[in-house]
Amino acid sequence: MKRFISDIQDNFKYLIYSAKSELKAEVANSYLNWIWWVLQPLCFMLIYTFMFSVVFNAREDYFPIFIFIGITMWDFFNKNITQSVKMIKRNKPIVTKVYVPKFILTISKMFVNGFKMAINFGIIVAMMIVFKVPVSINLLYLIPLMVTLWVITFGCMCIVMHFGVFIEDLSNVITIVFKMLFYMTGVFYDIHKRIGKSYPELANFMGNYNPMAYLVSSVRKCLIYTGEPDLKFLVMWFAIGIILSVIGVKIIYKYENGYAKVV
Amino acid sequence: MNMEENENQEIAITVKDLKIVYRSLKTYSLKKSLLRLKKVEKQTFEAVKGVSFEVPKGQILGITGKNGSGKSTMLRALAGVFAPDAGYIDLHGNSVSLLAIGVGFNKALTGRENIMLSGMLLGFTEEFVRSKIDEIIEFSGVGKFIDMPVSTYSSGMFSKLAFSITAILETDIMLIDEVLSVGDVKFKKKSYQKMKSLISNKDRTVVIVSHSLSTLSELCDTILWMHEGEIKEIGEPKVVLEHYKEFMK
Repeated sequence: MKRFISDIQDNFKYLIYSAKSELKAEVANSYLNWIWWVLQPLCFMLIYTFMFSVVFNAREDYFPIFIFIGITMWDFFNKNITQSVKMIKRNKPIVTKVYVPKFILTISKMFVNGFKMAINFGIIVAMMIVFKVPVSINLLYLIPLMVTLWVITFGCMCIVMHFGVFIEDLSNVITIVFKMLFYMTGVFYDIHKRIGKSYPELANFMGNYNPMAYLVSSVRKCLIYTGEPDLKFLVMWFAIGIILSVIGVKIIYKYENGYAKVV
Repeated sequence: MNMEENENQEIAITVKDLKIVYRSLKTYSLKKSLLRLKKVEKQTFEAVKGVSFEVPKGQILGITGKNGSGKSTMLRALAGVFAPDAGYIDLHGNSVSLLAIGVGFNKALTGRENIMLSGMLLGFTEEFVRSKIDEIIEFSGVGKFIDMPVSTYSSGMFSKLAFSITAILETDIMLIDEVLSVGDVKFKKKSYQKMKSLISNKDRTVVIVSHSLSTLSELCDTILWMHEGEIKEIGEPKVVLEHYKEFMK
């Protein structure tokens, strides 16, 4: 634990700098540069809103915001995890030449994706003003919910990154699992309303025991429906996130010096 | 070995019974491991087999040996990239860097940004790299290209910049894998001079891995000859290199 904190402190500047340079490099050669970070999720939102409100006739209050929150949070989780599978291989020149605590790479990646998520939340706020969404003090629940999202994501990233080094086809497995998870997370529908109608127990299970489903629906609740999240599950998922992170960091500390031999 | 004579001298690197093993050199795929659940075959390869030596502070140690004798593996272990499987390495609190070209470069960024990135990755503080940045740019001689993306560089410019970073940002112990020959004749001369002045600094301990016998005999105080993961001979450059030449015939 002590080592973890001092490693973070030692590498914090590098972490920020490398996240910044990755963002910069991403847009360096494109015409619209950073506008893509806004444009892309906005377009996805329009597509989904059209598909589900017109084609599938779905009805939710503030449907565009509803979908946008789902996409934003899902993207953060999805991109972070799928990118950590090959993290070590992609950073081979670094890994084989200098010692860096390997979770520094994951945290740097989280900052990159976190920055994009922050932009999207800016858009969400703007949309809330345009749609005149009523807000309440429950808005503050956003903070613990986001912290939980980060902790869970970090834990999963560390673990996935470790196994990604040794298991060549993990990325194929992850792609399939995440496709499934995507549809079960309710990015473009309300689990409790849609599934709950005919299978209330199943909906409860899916909504609360899938961290992403729980987090997405809770953020929607407190952000646009003035509700409050189920605190019991918030505490549970936060604890699970911490446990995952501890396991992940422990694994990395134990095996990280072997990575250079494999890649 | 003249360990007794050097007893009052400070030791910079201690390596004791160092062993490094590569376990199954290939990563495995899920299918393979599912089909062969019963018996996971373990192919191991011992790259370094119980090596011990010490390097006094300020000395220059040259390591030579034929390909695949474990030289580079050991160098990386010294740099802290590999963990030893047995034995230990003690650097007595000295900072160490593997003179590696272009660590952490991002080709879409400018040379200036890459200097910062690479320097910070090597463990230097942002302020320190910033204070050295002009010296690095000056030494590299890439001139106005420094503010252009590295992807537009010629390969010579790229290696010149990369070499300059590691040459200017100094550490107590420097590990050099193959004496670097980059750039044109002029830069080669310049970098060789720089290397010489770097490693002749009294406080700096240097480990060089090389096949070039002339470089080794010119620069090193001690030569370590490795053969198939073991020390074949260690001692005076003249003596060891002579034996090595004989052996390789």
